[in-house]
Amino acid sequence: MSSLARGPAALVRDAVPPTLAVLGALALVGVFVALLGYAPGRALTALLRGSLGSGAAWTATLLKASPLLLTGLAVALSFRCGVWNIGAEGQLLVGALCATAVATRTLPGAPAALVLPAVVLAGAAGGALIGAVAGALRATRGVNEVISTILLNFVAIQLVALAVHGPLQEAAGAYPKSDALPAAAMLPAIGRLHGGLAVALALAFATQLLVFRSAIGFRLRAVGHAPRAARFAGISPELYGWLVLALAGGLAGLAGAFEVAGVTGTLYERISPGTGYTAIAVALLARLHPLSVIPSALFFGALEAGAGAMQREAGVPAVVAQMVQGLVVLLSVGLSVARPPRARGLRTPEPKRGID
Amino acid sequence: MPQATSRPAAYAARLHGVSKAFVPRRPVLDGVDLAVRAGEIHALLGENGAGKSTLMKILVGLLRPDAGSISLADAPVDLDRFTPAEAVRRGIGMVHQVSALVPAMTVVENLAFGDARAGLWFHPRRARRAAERLAARFQLEVSLDRRVEDLAMGERQRAEILRALGRGARLLILDEPTSVLTPREAEALFASLRGLRDAGRAVIFISHKLSEVEAVADRVTILRQGKATASLSAREADARELGRLMLGRDVPPLERPARTPSVAAPALEIRGLCAPGLSEASRLREIDLRLDPGEILGIVGIDGNGQRELEEVLAGVRRPTRGDVCVGGRRIAPRPRALRAAGLAHLSGDRDGAGLISAFTLAENWILKGSHDDRRFFRRGWLDRAAARRAARAAAERFGIVPADPDAPIASLSGGNAQKLAVARELDGDPSVLVAVNPTRGLDVGSARFVHDELLARRRSGGAVLLISTDLDEVLALSDRITALVRGALAAVPPGSDRAAIGAILLGEAAA
Repeated sequence: MSSLARGPAALVRDAVPPTLAVLGALALVGVFVALLGYAPGRALTALLRGSLGSGAAWTATLLKASPLLLTGLAVALSFRCGVWNIGAEGQLLVGALCATAVATRTLPGAPAALVLPAVVLAGAAGGALIGAVAGALRATRGVNEVISTILLNFVAIQLVALAVHGPLQEAAGAYPKSDALPAAAMLPAIGRLHGGLAVALALAFATQLLVFRSAIGFRLRAVGHAPRAARFAGISPELYGWLVLALAGGLAGLAGAFEVAGVTGTLYERISPGTGYTAIAVALLARLHPLSVIPSALFFGALEAGAGAMQREAGVPAVVAQMVQGLVVLLSVGLSVARPPRARGLRTPEPKRGID
Repeated sequence: MPQATSRPAAYAARLHGVSKAFVPRRPVLDGVDLAVRAGEIHALLGENGAGKSTLMKILVGLLRPDAGSISLADAPVDLDRFTPAEAVRRGIGMVHQVSALVPAMTVVENLAFGDARAGLWFHPRRARRAAERLAARFQLEVSLDRRVEDLAMGERQRAEILRALGRGARLLILDEPTSVLTPREAEALFASLRGLRDAGRAVIFISHKLSEVEAVADRVTILRQGKATASLSAREADARELGRLMLGRDVPPLERPARTPSVAAPALEIRGLCAPGLSEASRLREIDLRLDPGEILGIVGIDGNGQRELEEVLAGVRRPTRGDVCVGGRRIAPRPRALRAAGLAHLSGDRDGAGLISAFTLAENWILKGSHDDRRFFRRGWLDRAAARRAARAAAERFGIVPADPDAPIASLSGGNAQKLAVARELDGDPSVLVAVNPTRGLDVGSARFVHDELLARRRSGGAVLLISTDLDEVLALSDRITALVRGALAAVPPGSDRAAIGAILLGEAAA
């Protein structure tokens, strides 16, 4: 709910349907796995062990969750404003591309203190730019953002391919990938866990404040609920749709920069395993609440991290994890529709026009 | 198909002890009896939320009652099997407020469309003959070969009635049928309804306008808070008594004391205003008007003649192509924030679309229009939620808005309470000009009265009100001066014009 007040009771109440959705999806997939002749108990155990069962498993989960958190925030922020941004994938890729370009081509010999901030900012700026392109098309030409962001995803995929086959290809020229990022461009890390995770967590809190406590957030929520009413209140839906696409692009671009500067250390074509699409599921399971995106991203991160273990140990194909993803989204969206909000229970919704 | 009976039924529909509760112990309907005789026009009168809607949904098979029984044409209804399709089969025809006809199809096509007897193929000539016969039988004059979208509202409504009759309706339900009609069209509708009654059809006429009920109904049933408070012959009761039965209290007539002409500068002046329209008929053409402090200027018109465009220009969301808007003698850029800062407030009858955000709370709606410049609630880019809640709670308590809970979403309020909040918000800054557009559309009598009283209070305290409304009674009751908006241009209405004269002006029939 968009209430100004959100007490602990409301938080608990809001947590019930997503939890049910997760459990329901796991149960359904368990049944399916059993029907295929695998042992669902073993599969689940392997999934849990691979995602939460050891320090290494936790590291894998957190590394998978980090880009999901940032792109999930991007999607949640867009959807809050009524902007159906399907382009987090492309925004992430352009972010990774720009970060790599700055790190390997523009600033290889620059002072170490400058390189990392420049790389990170370049990622955010790249994502913001491609988001802003969709925003500008929407604001000035009325191009539907669903179409434009999907199409821009393909543009981004090809841009990355072009770069790693051309201008950004490694000096050796053997593989379609970029040079390794210089050490100064890499994020500080504890073990394999890079500092981008902390930034992502901080940004979840910042996004929560932006959406629910700031004037800009108030306006973008107004636009999301009722663009016409927002216009009468002096708030331009076009401007805020554009702004939100740029902001979301920045968040997703940051995720891309963190991937190259924190995990892979190099850019290659299939650097994102569909993170920007899973982000939609992350945001929906979180019911578009920025803070709830944290547990949601952790869940989907654990699912991705555990899927490999499930395949190795129980022989269950890793794609089953994707079924869980899909079912979680369907169930969580379904449950939120089926459960009437407290206020609605008191009276039937008024017909737009009709008797009365 | 109506069932063939040897003798005509005495009652088209009888509902007995019908109860319905969506939430336990909060009945929307509580033991309602309704008896509609064959061959009578039966008015169903009640405020919003009185239960009219629920009662009719039960009668057309959309809802199942918790208790009670229904018989149609003297035969009992099995409520477990009573679906909308069954209701149609048993001769119930609903004529909605908003047309259910396909605009791009002709009347004949619409009549044949969805007719179960027509079979798989459309036979243009056969369909036309059937339509002709139907129209002749009930003496409903409709241009059968024209597209529905080209028809005036009154004719469109007749087409809709024809369609219901064509499907064998013996009991027609009309939901606020006059809300889209001019006075003359309403008269014609009443004549058609009387004709149907004389042909043995029954009509349930839903309204909250007492004068219409007096004009057309044979019997009246009044619903208040889910109970049928009275059922009486229309001749037994006058408007005042009906109002008391409906509200449970007396409604004193509006008092509008005479006004001393102002010598001050006009509160609002519009000069040579032109603006693009949604349709050719609604394009604004050279609007000139002047509104003085302490004056209510009524602009009357039929929907689609430029009201929406004028509203949008004055709210700052439609760019005029030419002309000036001056508030307090100063020319103001027609943008929402500039107009508001200049002291022009905007109260819309389109509450969900233009005034309030139903998913937002009372508090959020209270501060909705101040997100750029209201320092009480927004400081340095941050929202002061405590201040917003306090202000919304204070306003809700002062104006008796239920619930007075600043965290309740607007969607949980009745239309009347939501509009009270909108009124309170718009008057909060003591604006010099209030543009009120259909301010009571869809409101019950009590809430409408509240809005009217507030508008008159504005006038008394020297505020200026521009009342743009399609409700002629409202404009006549409140306005010091009246002008008409016809095809996007203002047409003079001589002082003292009566309803008929104004109706002629609205149809563009007045002598040039």
